[in-house]
Amino acid sequence: MIPLPIRQAGPVESPFNPEQQRRFDAGLERAIAKYPPERKKAALLAALHLAQDELGWVSEPTMAYVATRLDIPPARVREVATFYTMYRLRPIGRHEIGVCNSISCWAMGSEKLLARCAQVLGIRPGETTKDGHFTLAEVSCLAACGNAPALLVNNFTFVEKVTEESLEKLIRELRDQPGKKMAPGPTPHRPEAHAASTEHDR
Amino acid sequence: MTGPRLLTADWDKPESWTLQTYRSGGGYQALPKALKMQPQQIVDEVVKSNLRGRGGAGFPTGMKWTFLRKETSFPKYLVVNADEGEPGTFKDRELLLRSPHFLVEGAIIGSYAIECHTTYVYCRGEFRESAMARLQRAIDEAREAGYLGKNILGSGFDLEMHTVFGAGAYICGDETGMLESLEGKKGYPRLKPPFPANAGGGLFKQPTAVNNVETLANMPVILNMGGDAFSRVGLVPKNGGTRLYAVSGHVKKPGVYEAPMGISFKALLEEYCGGMREGSTLKGIIPGGASSAILTAAEADWASDFDTLKAKKTMAGSGAVVYLDQSVNMAQALANLMRFFAHESCGQCTPCREGTSWLSRLLDKIVAGKGEKQDVDNVYQIAKQMETKTICALADGAAMPAKSFIEKFRADFDMLVRG
Repeated sequence: MIPLPIRQAGPVESPFNPEQQRRFDAGLERAIAKYPPERKKAALLAALHLAQDELGWVSEPTMAYVATRLDIPPARVREVATFYTMYRLRPIGRHEIGVCNSISCWAMGSEKLLARCAQVLGIRPGETTKDGHFTLAEVSCLAACGNAPALLVNNFTFVEKVTEESLEKLIRELRDQPGKKMAPGPTPHRPEAHAASTEHDR
Repeated sequence: MTGPRLLTADWDKPESWTLQTYRSGGGYQALPKALKMQPQQIVDEVVKSNLRGRGGAGFPTGMKWTFLRKETSFPKYLVVNADEGEPGTFKDRELLLRSPHFLVEGAIIGSYAIECHTTYVYCRGEFRESAMARLQRAIDEAREAGYLGKNILGSGFDLEMHTVFGAGAYICGDETGMLESLEGKKGYPRLKPPFPANAGGGLFKQPTAVNNVETLANMPVILNMGGDAFSRVGLVPKNGGTRLYAVSGHVKKPGVYEAPMGISFKALLEEYCGGMREGSTLKGIIPGGASSAILTAAEADWASDFDTLKAKKTMAGSGAVVYLDQSVNMAQALANLMRFFAHESCGQCTPCREGTSWLSRLLDKIVAGKGEKQDVDNVYQIAKQMETKTICALADGAAMPAKSFIEKFRADFDMLVRG
């Protein structure tokens, strides 16, 4: 058999600025260190999370860069990036509001909540407002069923026991203070359960 | 409230998640005991305890670890399943938020029992800034206190514990889907055998125990009270201990309740959750997460343990109990569940990939008022055809509610269709 010529891939540029690069490198080093030395490819999910933390989404060039850092074929990075729902494959609004649509939230009125959210924002699920403030999404069960209906804001922030009023207030606040740092939740507090006294639980 | 609180006694204390609180309630007293025992003695105690896996399958934990101990290939791994995603389930998140040290101590004891030196806690990505942040802090506190790292409490036993995140995929809650994800791949479940406990089947092909958060949190309890006493806490033979029931739906006080394993759904509702909310009458009960077969109101006196429910063709699953009232049309509820399964099917096996989508489309059509009687029969037939034909349990978990909703609430479907 005649060996096929190997096409040399061009240099892959880093998508990060120097400060982002430092954070990404440090994070990647920590992620790789969790695995046996010969298993650094296992850090792929972590690497994509880190890249998205810096850039807001995961572009094809970002995937290619992550691939070179972990010695993984770019196609496999793409396979992983498109398999998991938390990775964003296109830029989205500053705030992504994910409305849980699974059974417990559904039973407690999540369909109405989603419709209200779409009405207030003037977009459908999957779309971004023209001003770039908001993206609306439907998300699968968040494990917050005791406080249904629940929202997930920007992938990590839980907002629970949501009413149409509290939803509108949340949207107003996020619109007025676009850089507002939100507590990652749980908001407002824990479910009843055995522990009713929950003010300290932050 | 009735029944002992073995896992949740700290939950209403201030800062219940700190090392200090955990210790003041007797935390980290089981660990030195464990490290003085032979690993096999711990497994024997777990076998006696009749602890069953709390993630959903209810597999006897002692037996799983016995398999692990028979393997001679090292290293071995312990992987903690914190990918809580079964609709209706929210008890692991509560446990991680409120008392993460239970898991840390339990996972150290479990690692010692199976002789592994690296533990991974695989957690769903959405928890990263909340529940997992709290666990990470607990791990750091434990390391500081000498419960993790080299030569733990002078025993010569070393252990590292790492947190690892998913990125949004229900399928990674399946143990082999999780192992694939941990290796940095998409979460396609693996064909078994080899099983994770065996060489060739686990993480990096090494023997691996995959255990649920709540399962491991029971380790300190078992060693403190003894396996036999733990077993007796359960109300049904071979179902030891208490269970964290995650109750949601149309009840007065939804939440996570610790009750003896095997409590009836009626007692759980009335004695813990304050009954149905004002104006609500019980219509149906999802007994163990979205994948379980539904119960009618008349079946509320069934015991909630693994064996009783299996004999009645449903399952105790993840301990997620959803009480639904008369306002719910069960065809609509099933359509909601099938949208979930169609969305979350990983696409690896044809019966699941196509089947869940067919079910979802047919049910959407029925709910939209465009269905015919034949469509309801087709849903039932398709569900039947999906069972036992796939690599993992997702298809069976979609088929079980599909069949049972129709069997038990056929009128709700018929009122929406023509002919």
